[in-house]
Amino acid sequence: MQKIISLPWQVPFGTFALKLDPLSLVFLFAIVILVVCSGLYGIGYLRPYKGKKGMGWHLFFYILLAVSLILVVTANNVILFLGAWELMAIANYFLIIFNNDQHEVRRAGFLYLMATHCGTFCLFLMFFLMANNAAGSMNFDVIAATNFSPIMAGIIFVLALLGFGVKAGFCPMHIWLPHAHPAAPSHVSALMSGLAIKTGIYGICRVIWIMKILPDWCGYVLLIIGASSGLLGVLYALGQHELKKLLAYHSIENIGIIALGLGVGLLGRTYNQPFLSAVGFAGALLHVINHALFKGLLFLGAGSVIQKTHTGNMDHLGGLAKVMPYTSALFLVGALSICGLPLFNGFISEFIIFMGLFNGLFNLPQQGIFFCGLGIVSLAVMGALALACFTKVYGTVFLGEVRAENVNIEDIRGRKESTSKWMIVAMMSLAGLCLWIGLAPHTMVNFTLVSGQYLSGKSFAVNEAEKLLIPLATIISVVLFLIVVFLGLIVLRRLVKGNAAPLIRETWSCGFEQFSPRFQYTSASFARSIVEFAKNILLFNRQGNKIMGAFPAAGNMSSAVKDAAEEIMVRPFYIRLIRLSRKIDENRNKYTQMYLMYIFLFLIFLLVWKIR
Amino acid sequence: MRIIVFSIILHWLIVLGCSPLFVGIINRVKAVISGRRGPSIFQPYFDLFRLMQKQQIYSRTTTWVFRATPAIVLASMLCVALIVPFGKIAAPIRFSGDIILVAYILALARFFMIISALDTGYSMEGMGASREAFFSCLAELVLFMNFITLAILVKKVSLSQMIGSDVPLLWSTVGAVLIMVVVSFFVVLLTENCRIPIDDPETHLELTMIHEVMILDNSGVDLAYILYASAIKLFIFAAILVPIIIPFKTGILWSDMCVFFAGMTGLALLIGLVESGMARLKLNRVRNFLLIAFALAFFGFIVTLWRI
Repeated sequence: MQKIISLPWQVPFGTFALKLDPLSLVFLFAIVILVVCSGLYGIGYLRPYKGKKGMGWHLFFYILLAVSLILVVTANNVILFLGAWELMAIANYFLIIFNNDQHEVRRAGFLYLMATHCGTFCLFLMFFLMANNAAGSMNFDVIAATNFSPIMAGIIFVLALLGFGVKAGFCPMHIWLPHAHPAAPSHVSALMSGLAIKTGIYGICRVIWIMKILPDWCGYVLLIIGASSGLLGVLYALGQHELKKLLAYHSIENIGIIALGLGVGLLGRTYNQPFLSAVGFAGALLHVINHALFKGLLFLGAGSVIQKTHTGNMDHLGGLAKVMPYTSALFLVGALSICGLPLFNGFISEFIIFMGLFNGLFNLPQQGIFFCGLGIVSLAVMGALALACFTKVYGTVFLGEVRAENVNIEDIRGRKESTSKWMIVAMMSLAGLCLWIGLAPHTMVNFTLVSGQYLSGKSFAVNEAEKLLIPLATIISVVLFLIVVFLGLIVLRRLVKGNAAPLIRETWSCGFEQFSPRFQYTSASFARSIVEFAKNILLFNRQGNKIMGAFPAAGNMSSAVKDAAEEIMVRPFYIRLIRLSRKIDENRNKYTQMYLMYIFLFLIFLLVWKIR
Repeated sequence: MRIIVFSIILHWLIVLGCSPLFVGIINRVKAVISGRRGPSIFQPYFDLFRLMQKQQIYSRTTTWVFRATPAIVLASMLCVALIVPFGKIAAPIRFSGDIILVAYILALARFFMIISALDTGYSMEGMGASREAFFSCLAELVLFMNFITLAILVKKVSLSQMIGSDVPLLWSTVGAVLIMVVVSFFVVLLTENCRIPIDDPETHLELTMIHEVMILDNSGVDLAYILYASAIKLFIFAAILVPIIIPFKTGILWSDMCVFFAGMTGLALLIGLVESGMARLKLNRVRNFLLIAFALAFFGFIVTLWRI
């Protein structure tokens, strides 16, 4: 089941021990695929920057990130894990600030660095508590063999949620994510969204694996976090005007879905339901892989759009399907997958999580049924909201007509799809994998079921897996049948109409003659009804003059959605912190000699402490 | 294998044959109540036939998405129809978890309807699309809440079993819950199928419409496909609701079938009555209407939890 490689390493408490087990294999699979695809994409994407930026450094940090990601998911030692974790954070930071001549990019990078270190602080506490319990041993499998008292386990679990939750982007701790993702170049955003935030999920899975017995509230906490992150993530996404920021918020939603799966798995483990537990964990882990694939694809697609039009503002774009046929088709694949629609991979993992939650309704005690019910409803609403969000994205970016004058689509129109071949190939391979998991899910489902079983620690009866695999097989046949019916209907239409070419006219605009592309619904107007519905959570504000009187004057209007977690929780705290540190700064005395004396006194204190 | 093929064909015959009739009955009821004679209840068939002969017109703005959507929508509805049992006639496809597939194939159809509306590049279609996206979010909430309640009651996650033979027995034990399920599901039916009070399928004022305005630009065979698909969708939702309402089963195939179809006719009459007796709600009232339905469904869920 697992393989451990141990190498000599001259670090106190550290062993260079790498472990391959079913859990890390799942993450490795996602890492290898996405690192290769994003790398290929980067070749094409970075071509315009050639000669202007240091490509060598970028490549160095890209490879460093890949290596550290692999180390993070394979490390079997606390010190090695933390080292790789830091390496990953730093490599990621340098990748984010690729466009370091822009002020916002540097700020976003700094915010990322701050956030990740706040998380690491909790991780230090958590690992020291663990090691303390395991009599000083720093190896994961030694720690996993020890017993934890329920209180200790609870404290460690909360610390893990805080520490890894910042990385993963659980809801109140997600504030760095929507800033850092749009700042980075697109192939790096794909890596961050697809993989870097998944290391947070990996960490939580690893803690669940180490703590064989967790208090029963842990599962409920994960379910609540999942539901709230998912719903808030997708609602915030709906309010965005910027393509990559929207995708970043969607990562929070998907992390929420993964947390729902983990929550069910954990509940199943706590209440001794091996199959339920394995299904929950398997759904979550499959969603980890799926999210890496389709979110990678979407970020890469967004990158192509931005490279071509030099803007990510959806309210300015439109009609790109005609000039970028490949990108638009591949983006559609990503959009369908992320909405969890049948035929693509998103549906498979969401179906498994749904099955886990529905099974939870039958096998858990009363409060478990209640929380599973809420989980099902929130997952369903997330699906519907994601659908609203991605129809908005696809409809406003790729369909209709281009909206703003400053996006010069005529310039692009002449040459069909001038997107670099490397970029197309990278996106195609990700889309192909989405389709593969969507249409032939058995390989991956079995793979993640094994991991789920490994995580739950108990094996379920072999014939129970059929409960999942047979419905999946039926689903695939229904979906294939749907395609056949679709083709049949297309043929029928052709038969009825003969070969007569249809008439091509303007869009019917209810008799109105002076048609302008600016009449179209923008992304903001499309999402407005939903955003206004949730305006108390979203801090939606809309400024501008209303239309008054029979002959209204020219006016302007702007609307924006602000992040409540950022505005209400973090910013006031941050402002107070700054004020406090200013005060301390004013009060300190400014003689170097005093500081030398402090150091000297401290040395004496240490000496006395050691001698005693 | 042969049995499955036979049952698929039977199912399609029923759904393709009866769904326009269902719409016809509703329209006739509305006409009679408003004092007109109204068209024959077979008028929807003639409309579909007429549309099949018409020429296709496409907008210059549209892409392949617009041309593929009608077929995708109709194909989705035909596939969903296979998962829904029609009274005693068992669904050809049934497995544990098929309700999720039903919900998501409906979502697939909705996805393409919305982007094809946005594909025309005009504000009217955009408005319809935006409203459709919003209201379906709320409808999904109610729908899944009802699914959960039914799933807990029958301990199964398959549509055929959830609305199957056990349900009549439940009326005597958890009748209150079932009333809440039925009422809130009826609201979902009205919403998903764009009936009054959520949407008006008849009006020609584009500003007030949801579904009708999204298909303003469709013509000919495409329009026929979409209208057929909406008729099938209405029929499917009715076929899910009717077995829950009917509080008894005779156990004999033919009499049960008669009861089912009588129930369907009754539901069509009821929808017609609701449409005649109510005005369309203001758009910002619709969400309250749906939230009331959600509150009912949620209350049903809580009572179920308490009763089991």
